[in-house]
Amino acid sequence: MNEFVEQFLIECRELIEQATDDLLTLEGRPDDAERLDGAFRAFHTLKGAAGIVDFDAMGRALHAAEEVLSSLRAGAEPVTPELISDCLTCLDQVVQWLDAMQADGEIPAGADAAAEAVIQRFRRAGPAAVATPRAPAAWRDALIARHPEAAAAIVLRYAPGPDAFLRGQDPLALLAGVPDLRVLEIEDGPAWPPLEALDPFACRLVFLALAGCSAEQARAALGAAPGEVEILALGAAAPEAASGLSATARAVIEAQLLLLENAEAEGLAGRMGSAGGAVANILRWAGRPAAAAGVERALAQSQAAGGPQSLSVAVGRVLAGEAIEDAAPAGPQPAERTPAEAAARTLRVDVERIDALVNLTGELLVAKNALGHAVSQAQGRLDTAALAALLKDQHAVLHRLVDDLQRSVLSIRVLQMRQVFQRFPRLVREMVVTLGKPAHLVTEGDETEADKTIVESLFEPLLHVLRNALDHGVESPAARAAAGKPPAATITLRARRLNDNVIVEVEDDGAGVDLARVRAVAAQRGVASPEALAAMSDPEVVDLVFAAGFSTATQVTSLSGRGVGMDAVRAAAERLGGRVTMESRAGAGATVRFILPFAVLMSRILTVEAGGQLFGIPLEAVLETVRVARGDIKPVGASRAFVLRHRTVPVIDLGQTLGARPDPAATDEANIVVVSAGGHLGGLEVDRLGARLDVMLKPMEGLLSGLAGIAGTTLLGDGRVLLVLDLQELLG
Amino acid sequence: MTVRLADGGVVELVGHCPSEDAETLLAELIARPDARVDWRACESAHTAVIQVLIAANVTPAGPPADGFLANRVEPLLNRR
Repeated sequence: MNEFVEQFLIECRELIEQATDDLLTLEGRPDDAERLDGAFRAFHTLKGAAGIVDFDAMGRALHAAEEVLSSLRAGAEPVTPELISDCLTCLDQVVQWLDAMQADGEIPAGADAAAEAVIQRFRRAGPAAVATPRAPAAWRDALIARHPEAAAAIVLRYAPGPDAFLRGQDPLALLAGVPDLRVLEIEDGPAWPPLEALDPFACRLVFLALAGCSAEQARAALGAAPGEVEILALGAAAPEAASGLSATARAVIEAQLLLLENAEAEGLAGRMGSAGGAVANILRWAGRPAAAAGVERALAQSQAAGGPQSLSVAVGRVLAGEAIEDAAPAGPQPAERTPAEAAARTLRVDVERIDALVNLTGELLVAKNALGHAVSQAQGRLDTAALAALLKDQHAVLHRLVDDLQRSVLSIRVLQMRQVFQRFPRLVREMVVTLGKPAHLVTEGDETEADKTIVESLFEPLLHVLRNALDHGVESPAARAAAGKPPAATITLRARRLNDNVIVEVEDDGAGVDLARVRAVAAQRGVASPEALAAMSDPEVVDLVFAAGFSTATQVTSLSGRGVGMDAVRAAAERLGGRVTMESRAGAGATVRFILPFAVLMSRILTVEAGGQLFGIPLEAVLETVRVARGDIKPVGASRAFVLRHRTVPVIDLGQTLGARPDPAATDEANIVVVSAGGHLGGLEVDRLGARLDVMLKPMEGLLSGLAGIAGTTLLGDGRVLLVLDLQELLG
Repeated sequence: MTVRLADGGVVELVGHCPSEDAETLLAELIARPDARVDWRACESAHTAVIQVLIAANVTPAGPPADGFLANRVEPLLNRR
């Protein structure tokens, strides 16, 4: 996929997020003009982006939505949930297209039909919405009727808003910049107050104008106030040039092309630079930053190649109104990735964090030089004690720097929970409609930070928990009324930082977990024996919902019954190095709590020796270490086990299991590390216990990625490679 | 100072009149409700200044020095 399309995809996804956010807020507050403007701008920019990559179908679908939003802004129609839904559906379709493009870089086939479906949806939404020609606003007709001689191409209404002056705008100066302005009027408003009561800095003026330029040019001239301008093209307008550029702009760009055609080598680099720069500037001026960026990329290619060809092609395409593609031949396609994975590869980083890294690099350089000094001292006559002191100092400095460096690097990977939370209001809204249980979602702690991997992997587990809360936790409106609760349930999605952990909670104010039902279902499905169930405390019974094969849904609904239960949620949390618990308050609701590590790259491990080899065990899985007499480890079937505080713990001989040779010097007692993973308790027999370490875990790659039972590797201080065990695989 | 009081109680707009001039002009017009305004030396005026002229319903002595003001803005004044 070329860089241009990649940029397009990133930009579009950001715009879609913004538009979705604005639309959902707008649904709750239909009078929020700012959100309406925000949504409109996002759709408008998306449409522009579609035009730049020549994706006509996407442009048409977005145009239909934009028209509807535009009539909402003009107050011609009220904001209704149906219209919001239609706009969201349009965005859904665009997301599907983007995913398809992400896979192969091509504009998806069949997009025209899908776009037509979206447009039809808006047609149904109301004849006023997309009727062509669109329903004329009264002010437009009156203005044209007053000035039949103007023969204008566009008609515009510009309401700068009361704070325009305070924001430093001069509306008349902006209007003076509209090319070929033919008529300027002030709209009749409410009567003027007496001069004594007039606030000279509150703009009360609304301008109406007729002009001979294109809508795009007018919009560019009034660009400083895009939210308050309404521009309508009139039927009689001259068709815009294919490129959408004014005649002047075209002339200037054509001149640049001539400059490039002069193939004389002398001064070529300079000519390319100035021509490319000029074209890019014109495109930016014309409100086409993406095309400008394309030209700049072509310029860079040309400069690298030492010939103007890439740039000439790009500029030619601009004039022809085509989208710019990289002239460079496509390289071999990288291995296929799923859209989600590919999207996760780009990372936007706060500049401050990069600066911190740069500073640290500087300090590391100083430390390196100091170490060099120590070496030269050692080569001299410095005695051992003095040398040791010197090295100790240097080690302390390096220790601090490396810690800082590591923290800085990890912080680059840090994202705010907002990234995942912001997707849920939309989805909860859909669930509410499907289930017919009114509920609203409250998010707290959006700004809580966690490692990118954690934040991005939380989406599915959280979605599942939310579905469950709404499907099973929240009662029907009638039952809620009977219990004296407000008809709409509140589901709270909350994140906070607690030391090295990030806590994410989903809390509902439903009925809580029906313990009797959980017991009955667990017995019926054989999740636990009746005796075990009888002995369980209430919290233990609640925890059964995470057991594999458990589902309390009496009927499989489209929401919860997708073949994965809460056991999948628990597995996901454990994959991230965390855990998940559930608390239930009978009649008052339930809380599912994820306790996740802040950073996934850092692991605390316990080193052990088995079969003459060193292994690492993730410390969070270690419950305790015990010494057990060999006689107390009894064979049970094909394996062995011992009893620890009335519980049977299966024992795995680590040395044998991992194929290392058994330790010849077997002792009378066995060292057992008792671990818990994936809900299983197990004992690992090892020869010796080692130290606790903080390590950066490197996942197994390439040939070794298929190796069972190993989570990753890390390097020890003496240069040896330490294998860190994947206990879930070993015990599972 | 681009708003000034000249002989005979005439308020003159001179040169480039920034938005702050709106307040000065308004104060002058409140102090002298029958004052005449002269903007023949005006090269540009912020919209806030124009708004005061509109609100006060005055017709300044013109035309102003700038083409846009003369052609597009002057017709907006004294339409009430």
